[in-house]
Amino acid sequence: MVAHARQLDTQHPLLLPRKLEIVPVPLPPPPPPRPLLPSLPPALAAKLTSGAELVRSLARQRREEVIPTTFAAVDALLGGGLARGKVTELAGRGARWSMVVATLAAATSMGEAAALVDVGDHLDPQLAEAAGVDLRRLLWVRPKTLKDAVTAAEMLGATGFQFVVLDAGLPPLRGRRLPDAAWVRLARTCETHGCTLLVSSPYALTGTTSEAMLLAHRVRPRWLGSGKSPRVLAGLEMMVRLEKHRRIRPGQSVKVFLAEWSAVVSTAGPAASRRGDAETASHQPARTPALRVAR
Amino acid sequence: MTRIACFYVPLFPLAARLRSEPELLAEAAAIVEGNGSAAHILAATRRARKHGIHAGQTLAQARAILPKLIARGRDAECERTAQEALLEAAETFSPRLEEAGDGLVFVDVSGTERHYATELDLAKSAVRAIDAVGLPGRVGVAGSKLAARVAAELPKSPTVVVPGEEELFLAPLPLARLSPALDAATTLSRWGLGSIGDLARLPESEVASRLGDAGRELHHAARGIDPRPLIPRALPPEFREGMELEWPLVAVEPFLFIAAAALDRLMKRMELQGFACKRIEMTLALEPDGWHARAIDLPAPTRDVKTILTLLRLDVEKNPPGAPVAGYTFVAHPDRPRRAQLSLFGPAAVSPEKLATTIARLAAMLGEDRVGQPMTVDGHLPERHAIGTFTPPPPPDLRRTPNRGRGVLAARVFRPPIPVEVITRENGGETQIESIRGEGEIAGSVRVASGPWTIEEGWWRPMPEAREYWDVEMEKGDVYRVYHGGGESGWFVDAALGN
Repeated sequence: MVAHARQLDTQHPLLLPRKLEIVPVPLPPPPPPRPLLPSLPPALAAKLTSGAELVRSLARQRREEVIPTTFAAVDALLGGGLARGKVTELAGRGARWSMVVATLAAATSMGEAAALVDVGDHLDPQLAEAAGVDLRRLLWVRPKTLKDAVTAAEMLGATGFQFVVLDAGLPPLRGRRLPDAAWVRLARTCETHGCTLLVSSPYALTGTTSEAMLLAHRVRPRWLGSGKSPRVLAGLEMMVRLEKHRRIRPGQSVKVFLAEWSAVVSTAGPAASRRGDAETASHQPARTPALRVAR
Repeated sequence: MTRIACFYVPLFPLAARLRSEPELLAEAAAIVEGNGSAAHILAATRRARKHGIHAGQTLAQARAILPKLIARGRDAECERTAQEALLEAAETFSPRLEEAGDGLVFVDVSGTERHYATELDLAKSAVRAIDAVGLPGRVGVAGSKLAARVAAELPKSPTVVVPGEEELFLAPLPLARLSPALDAATTLSRWGLGSIGDLARLPESEVASRLGDAGRELHHAARGIDPRPLIPRALPPEFREGMELEWPLVAVEPFLFIAAAALDRLMKRMELQGFACKRIEMTLALEPDGWHARAIDLPAPTRDVKTILTLLRLDVEKNPPGAPVAGYTFVAHPDRPRRAQLSLFGPAAVSPEKLATTIARLAAMLGEDRVGQPMTVDGHLPERHAIGTFTPPPPPDLRRTPNRGRGVLAARVFRPPIPVEVITRENGGETQIESIRGEGEIAGSVRVASGPWTIEEGWWRPMPEAREYWDVEMEKGDVYRVYHGGGESGWFVDAALGN
């Protein structure tokens, strides 16, 4: 019987399993895409756009954005704030650091990752947080010379940081003065990658490469009380003048008042309580003691 | 149905050496094993083979034929790293693979039909993958390990054996392809058998009765039957690259030149696996003996060779090995590179890969403690601060409106505080600051002074920190924060308020 079956197998090779393979039936080609736009109501169709056009318009929109300094008068001088992809310089002996911290607070509150190139190692994280800076979004770079600072700023701009602050510190600046070519290169990097760069220095450094230049000067401390002592520092007043701008006529000046931070935080409540100063006792009962201790 | 691909690198000791020293490829070079008069040729480059150099010759014989022959000893480190590279190339096709010896890897490619139209396409991709790691590879695909190996050893690569036709494929090939034992080969030759098919046609029981179990196994092999299953290997926890140098190096630049090539290979291997380097360990073999081992932790996982090389340069310059370097080994510890979904409508985010590289380069340039995220520290001293790893949260989906500014006067902290000399005057039991003598701008008479405010920290310690702070306005209009540390510690300026 088995031999007979084998003989049948050889006589009828169609019975071999190899011949019983399932051949996939080719699927019919998919129907061509039907244009949807003409069938939509005109009001709705007008709002639709292609993906490429959307990306282009978003890029255009991003280029036109500004980063506010949060000082309304200064923003008005700059036409809204610091221009995207441009270098803005803040020079002079005024309270530049306060403007730097305020601008960082504005940028990080928008959800941007920001970088601070701090040549003088001047940042106080406690104070920056109290001023509104989201420290999680801030990269703090502490170079020792101006040359390293410019190199770091260029690297950060090329990496994709949309807001970089280069603070050169207090005079005398550390390291030799840089050639103009270094600033030109830095400005081109910012332009290419859409990085807003704020350069803060005691005197003008960026030359012709900056889009705008502000001069902070004529600082006047404001004290509460009279006489030589006791007195309390209420804040500082300074003048900010637009020295140069490529699109706005320069020469205008505005007055800026900066409140001593403990006075500001005292009204904030939670910010002060975050700082946890219960342990230390101030021997000076006057003038918002808890806040003064927290410094 | 199981399908197995065999990745094979012919003349493996030579191929491994050429991977590390590609300039030898155009030369008449040979790999030598043994010392003195026992030194013999293992493998030779094509140019050397053209001159009549072949495996088995003694080095003296080879030199007699070709005096300018470049001879290199077997380098265990080179071969090990080449083997790892081959394994990693194979892993890109399937996680199930078996390491079967030097330059020989079996890969289970069953179930890859969806990724490749035909098995020939898969085999061609495999050849390209082996070439990408710097090795001349051959590939064979068959239903068993034996048939796959024989297919891979054929000079025409890649070779694919049709499923179920292993016996037909093997039949015309010479018996030597089955690598029989020497005595069995002699016996088979005396029987007049030349091809594998000749052996397969003999009755199995007759062959087994004359040649024993070895004969039975050989007969099975001739019929394409390979009962040995594929034994998958475990994944390595680290990636290694190394080489023994022909001449000891005494300068940093030549070493970095060689290290760059090794790191490049290492990073390519990690890229194949989808890893980035989190920590790199370097072990240098010193002349005449000894080791110099260093480890560099990267701030973030990266595959950027330039960055790692910069870190390496700084480390070697800071901690020189102190003796000529005769060999090196790099061990890279893998980690998953950071990934993030970038937002279309929100603020532009920084690519995690680029960010990691930039932070590593900045850390190499400025020092690890000078780059990172500023962090608050519990306490009361103004100069306190900490720096942590910068891992920003993903940006919001939509751009937020910036917070309104508080118009806060921010203090520039001086780290460390600047020591100054302060002239004070007692007036009715109160201390009044008259003038400050310090360096640079911090000097002159004081117009207004406000204070003191006392800070105490660490009262539980034997020496608690107690300071009296003052805000002072100088004649020029600058405002500084000064403090007295108590006792003999003197006066310091720790912040500028108006700059």
